[in-house]
Amino acid sequence: MSHRKRPVHRPKIRMKEAEALVRALETHQVDGIVGERHIMVCRLKEVEEKLEHSRDQVRALAASLQSMRENEKALIAREIHDEFGQTLTCLQLGLSWMAGKVDPQQQPVLEKIRSLSALVTAMIRSVQRFAHELRPGVLNELGLVKTLKSEAWEFEGRTGIPCKVKTNIGKARFDHVGSVALFRIAQAALTNVARHAQASRAMVSLLKKKHMLILTVLDDGKGITKEMVHSHRSIGIIGMRERALALDGTLTFSGSKGKGTTMTVRVPLSRVLIGQESVSS
Amino acid sequence: MKARKRERRRYAKPGGETYVFRLFVVGNESNSTQARGNLARLCEEHLKGRCQIETVDVLKDAATARKNNVLVTPTLILIRPFPKVTVIGNLSDTRQVLAALRLIGDER
Repeated sequence: MSHRKRPVHRPKIRMKEAEALVRALETHQVDGIVGERHIMVCRLKEVEEKLEHSRDQVRALAASLQSMRENEKALIAREIHDEFGQTLTCLQLGLSWMAGKVDPQQQPVLEKIRSLSALVTAMIRSVQRFAHELRPGVLNELGLVKTLKSEAWEFEGRTGIPCKVKTNIGKARFDHVGSVALFRIAQAALTNVARHAQASRAMVSLLKKKHMLILTVLDDGKGITKEMVHSHRSIGIIGMRERALALDGTLTFSGSKGKGTTMTVRVPLSRVLIGQESVSS
Repeated sequence: MKARKRERRRYAKPGGETYVFRLFVVGNESNSTQARGNLARLCEEHLKGRCQIETVDVLKDAATARKNNVLVTPTLILIRPFPKVTVIGNLSDTRQVLAALRLIGDER
């Protein structure tokens, strides 16, 4: 007796039915597929919704943490500036007063006072630098464009890599959260250039195009791979992306091995702009 | 003769006759539950209760689904009045469903 194989069930589908099927699949209206031997239960929509919900929660948490960090940094910067700054200034004044009171004959004492005074001056500068790194004062006073210029200038001084700033934004005023986020992204990108790129030139551009604000940091260094961009170890890039997403924006990296890296952040202008703008080249 | 009879059946007006539906669902999944509710509401509002619904859970009776060429759930099949109509989805687009079931003119 031969054991016959069961014939495969081939459903007949007409064009109209196929269209209806595609429409139902596209609109997530299908929850089960009737197969030859099994019934497949689809919960794609639910899973997608849960995943998206979970992503939103993570993003909200990240944005909240960033905001808390910025607030803490601002507090520490203020404390450092006010407490240490004032104490050191008093110390400096005291040393100057002492130098005036000491008999000019007592050269060793005068020398000691002068060296202490130089030390206090160096400490004041360090305190100012720490406070600036924690919260760039110019960001509040002068705005995003000038802060970026200042950062590029400091980057150039620190690393020796020439860094230009290009912008078509005049006296536009940006919302504080947006300015801080964009500045921090640019700062992180420049840090990456200094640490990994082995570049000989860098450029920061902040341009307004239609309804988007585009921040670009590019270099002519060794480039970045896709693996590095998407690696869970690239904490800096993850932080930059989270900051961009918090502004409803996107962050992309382009470039290949040996051809430099271009980091681009695109943010809706309506999300960051608060004041009237005037465009200048 | 037979051909003429088939022709007459094809263009027969539904009139006051009972609509017989077979609804294929899978357990209590969201679209299947929605399809059940939407079909019950449609029967109540547009057919004044003149309908007979046979619900087939494909997890319990897959053979009927295969016999009826059902590929996905939820799928609604209008058994009577002739001709047979198949509607795929959770039946949330009432206008489209009514048009497919010939209860209103197809405005597409």
